[in-house]
Amino acid sequence: MGLVKKEEYAFDTMPGVDVVLTKIDYVVNWARSNSLWPLTFGTSCCAIEMLMATGGPRHDLARFGAEVTRPSPRQADLLILAGTIVKRMAPRLRTLYDQMAEPRYVIATGACTISGGPFLYHSYSTIRGADEIIPVDVYVPGCPPRPESLLHGLLTLQKLIKEGQTIRKPGVRHKPVISEIPEGVSREDITAEMVELLEHDSVVNIEETLGNLERPTGI
Amino acid sequence: MTTEELFQVITELEPSAKQSEKTSDRPTVEVPPEALVALMQKLRDDPRLSFNMLLAHTAVDWLEERLFEMVYQLYSPQNQQYLAVLVYVPRNNPVVPTISSIWRIAEFQEREVYDLLGVLYDEHPDLRRLFLEDDWTGFPLRKSYQDDFILERPK
Ligand code: SF4
Repeated sequence: MGLVKKEEYAFDTMPGVDVVLTKIDYVVNWARSNSLWPLTFGTSCCAIEMLMATGGPRHDLARFGAEVTRPSPRQADLLILAGTIVKRMAPRLRTLYDQMAEPRYVIATGACTISGGPFLYHSYSTIRGADEIIPVDVYVPGCPPRPESLLHGLLTLQKLIKEGQTIRKPGVRHKPVISEIPEGVSREDITAEMVELLEHDSVVNIEETLGNLERPTGI
Repeated sequence: MTTEELFQVITELEPSAKQSEKTSDRPTVEVPPEALVALMQKLRDDPRLSFNMLLAHTAVDWLEERLFEMVYQLYSPQNQQYLAVLVYVPRNNPVVPTISSIWRIAEFQEREVYDLLGVLYDEHPDLRRLFLEDDWTGFPLRKSYQDDFILERPK
């Protein structure tokens, strides 16, 4: 492993190089987080009540750059699990996940994909949580979750991606995140936060960016 | 056609069929398994009844009575009338004649009942499992079903 050590050494002794690297990471993560192409794995009530509703015009997933839902795992990088997963479906789900290109993220929505939900007891077929099959990044609780919960979950995932974390590459976080809408937060709040984020993300302030570049990073 | 007329026609066609005493939102007849196919054929073909749609077929496991109750839901689009046909078979030897020669869709509905409750259909053309894996043992919708996977609710 001499190579890695050499590289680290190179970074240490060449100030400026890590600045460039940090910025590339930042740009890549920004691009990834704003162009999530979801593969919709909708298997029961959650798919209709939450996933399809979120894709529709009222809640409009497209605002967050995640509207290109893909029926093919080869073109998707976000797997949205919505619905009960049964034993017989588990190998197929694993196959779908394996076919997705890296980097890939998973949002598990609804009690069923988190724990088996209403079918936890006395069920001969329901898998007790999608994380028995594949790693899950963000959990969105509810039965079914409201569409804004999914938006909140998506925002949570986007934040994580911008920070460079996933369940497969944990940073400070070693556990998956439960994205529950805090009490007293309404759809309007989430929309407002989204609008703010989008404006912030899509408007590039040259002065500010230049200022950031000149500032020593202190890593 | 009123319900009385309906039952009159049915008993005329098949004397062994009798009105069920169960409370139900639709006319219900009970018939012994031997007479099932003959009755169904007449229900479908008799021009007064023309029950030519088999809406659903399912079964109920009565553990304490040691019976399987086979339920056939029929509908006549012509008369806009519903009819339920019940057949009781013993739980330890659940065999009924197939009606898939009368309604083709019954072939799949009977496979589903076989899959989940283990009722055997005499002369069924293709009695295999439908939903569960082919190597599954047992019939999970039976009240007595147990396996290692099932979790009991903690007390
Ligand atoms: S969590 Fe509830 S709404 Fe969602 S799939 Fe399961 S049962 Fe249906």
